[in-house]
Amino acid sequence: MSLLEVEELRVRIRGERGEVTIVDGVDYTVEEGQVFGVAGESGSGKTISVLALLQLLPRGASTSGRAIYGGRDLLRLSGRALRRVRGRELAMVFQDPLTSLHPMLTIGRQLSEHVRVHEGASKRAALARAAELLAEVRIPDPERALHAFPHQFSGGMRQRVAIAGALATRPKLLIADEPTTALDVTVQAGILRLLDRLRRESGLAVILITHDLGVMSSIADHVSIFYAGRIVESGPTKELLSTPRHPYTRALLDALPHPVDDGRADLLAIPGLPPSPRSRPAGCAFHPRCAYAIDASRVQAPPLVTVGAARLLACHVDPFASPS
Amino acid sequence: MSLVEVRELGVVYRRQGVDVHAVVGASLALERGRITGLVGESGCGKSSLARAIVGLVEPAAGEIVFDGKPLSPLRRGARPRHETRLQLVFQNPYSSLNPRRTVGSQIADGLRLRGEGERTDRRTRVGELLDQVGLSGGAAGRFPHQFSGGQRQRIAIARALAADPSVIVLDEPLSSLDASTQAQIANLLVGLTRDLELALLLISHDLAIVRHIADEVSVMYLGTIVEEGPTRELWSSPQHPYTEALIAAIPAADGSGTLPEALPGEVPDPASPPSGCRFHPRCPHAFARCPGEVPPLYALGPDRAAACFLRDPASTQTHEHEGVT
Ligand SMILES: Nc1ncnc2c1ncn2[C@@H]1O[C@H](COP(=O)(O)OP(=O)(O)OP(=O)(O)O)[C@@H](O)[C@H]1O
Ligand SMILES: Nc1ncnc2c1ncn2[C@@H]1O[C@H](COP(=O)(O)OP(=O)(O)O)[C@@H](O)[C@H]1O
Ligand code: SF4
Ligand code: SF4
Ligand SMILES: [Mg+2]
Ligand SMILES: [Mg+2]
Repeated sequence: MSLLEVEELRVRIRGERGEVTIVDGVDYTVEEGQVFGVAGESGSGKTISVLALLQLLPRGASTSGRAIYGGRDLLRLSGRALRRVRGRELAMVFQDPLTSLHPMLTIGRQLSEHVRVHEGASKRAALARAAELLAEVRIPDPERALHAFPHQFSGGMRQRVAIAGALATRPKLLIADEPTTALDVTVQAGILRLLDRLRRESGLAVILITHDLGVMSSIADHVSIFYAGRIVESGPTKELLSTPRHPYTRALLDALPHPVDDGRADLLAIPGLPPSPRSRPAGCAFHPRCAYAIDASRVQAPPLVTVGAARLLACHVDPFASPS
Repeated sequence: MSLVEVRELGVVYRRQGVDVHAVVGASLALERGRITGLVGESGCGKSSLARAIVGLVEPAAGEIVFDGKPLSPLRRGARPRHETRLQLVFQNPYSSLNPRRTVGSQIADGLRLRGEGERTDRRTRVGELLDQVGLSGGAAGRFPHQFSGGQRQRIAIARALAADPSVIVLDEPLSSLDASTQAQIANLLVGLTRDLELALLLISHDLAIVRHIADEVSVMYLGTIVEEGPTRELWSSPQHPYTEALIAAIPAADGSGTLPEALPGEVPDPASPPSGCRFHPRCPHAFARCPGEVPPLYALGPDRAAACFLRDPASTQTHEHEGVT
């Protein structure tokens, strides 16, 4: 059985000008030890779809669908059961590590309290565990780091501390939203290696949101591409990146600076802008920007269907189907 | 002669009574119609160098020559007219635009600064500038929050262009944008540089984009320039171990599943930099000479240089370490 099964997840948010659908029917499964990648343009609903799993949505949001984890529906948990799962089995790391660290408390205090609350350890044991965690994320001199405040660390170190905090209760699933986007490539490489080690050594599953397809390629087992609140394509990373089938995935890859060319040609930008949730086009939401659109694209949203082993695609035309 | 020449520049801040040498003896040249990339880890002094070039911080050492004349020292009041031709576009286009004023009036500021024309002329010119950065004229009457990140960056660029600059320094203009938007802005920058004969300094920690659009690249580490060269050559055969480490850390989107190489350690605090070669505590090739002496930038060809003892033509080490790889 899968660690997490998300079915027909929908999120609507009520705003000043009425209700808008942000996430529009998303299905996926995450297995133990798997790094499950989520990519797509800014505003496509990646963050909102994972906040929904933890019931961390902003006020005015309503959720429907199911997210089955350990036999229970995360979307329907409440009270103690919710706190238990949220603090302990599912952890989250954000793009800006300062959102999860308290500026006025020492690193040691923050990490150890988290451990005490969720595991009922003694103060001494909790501090020892905190030092262990810092060592695990390769913070130099962990004993000393326990006494430091977040602002005394660089961005990369803070992100590692935030990850240490998320791992404090040995969660089974880590949700990481653009965890390395604000970091230097050198530091990013260290964090990717850390995540890779954790999933190999302790079977940690990771939902990794990133718009950096290079990051995706290096660590994700499986990638789902979001566009306008839906998954438009998904599959094993290697296959998806080498033979993308959805016109949007194709365009995303074409927009990247090519790894071997010397850069004199223009980059291929996708024309136009991603639609806002308030004005999503009818039919396939990508149709105004798609060179392959047909009449059906304008009226009917293509369903996400199986097109190969573990590969799913939502496109009426499938212009890049392999000729087999 | 280059349009901008930065010579042996030093920038020093005082932090709690201690001097922080954010930039140390950095030299750089910007040419008309060309894009120079400046890369390095955060905190290495890129923004400080940028601020010195546009006159926002006073150099503690060295000089900046613009169009043959040394840049005037900072003082209160307006800078000489010709120096408004050095423009800076900041990292975060949202915080640098005023949320309460229309886009059009903010772009017109640049025109007013130059004492340009009547109100109606200015309005026409704002329309032209918006067009130049790929926005419709209707954008002039709207407010910054009504635009996406990429559009705001276009607005910031239009505002810089309003001052009729010959040099634009862009500090991390693309880092908050996603791939497709980055590609649009990158293409815009290349087009403007060629069409308007601008000299562009593009600062970024995103090496892939710098690689794609810069003609030349300078690599900075802890306040010093450690390597410079034409982009293609620098990338295909880095001559400084730090440049090599930066390149190895970029993950490729090829689906290969290879993890990028991590450079051990952190960027040291510029308030107490390591002795000798500042990179030596993290350098996989460091040897006896490195902690004791500061390597100069060794010229390695007409446009290439690297500050590493492995490249010292007078040393036998050069041969033993042929090719940093
Ligand atoms: N509190 C909110 N109220 C109303 N709309 C919201 C709220 N938070 C997010 N949205 C909208 O929901 C959509 C999806 O947002 P989300 O943050 O999930 O995007 P994302 O894919 O994570 O983008 P990014 O890559 O920029 O983080 C966006 O259009 C956003 O404007
Ligand atoms: N106003 C300031 N006062 C004190 N130190 C500063 C100031 N601005 C920058 N620094 C320090 O100078 C160094 C270089 O900073 P900066 O040029 O902003 O780096 P980058 O742009 O490469 O991130 C950093 O160590 C930074 O903390
Ligand atoms: S369904 Fe039509 S518009 Fe949508 S991606 Fe496929 S071809 Fe393009
Ligand atoms: S001078 Fe020495 S420490 Fe510095 S980069 Fe070269 S080999 Fe490494
Ligand atoms: Mg997000
Ligand atoms: Mg900076």
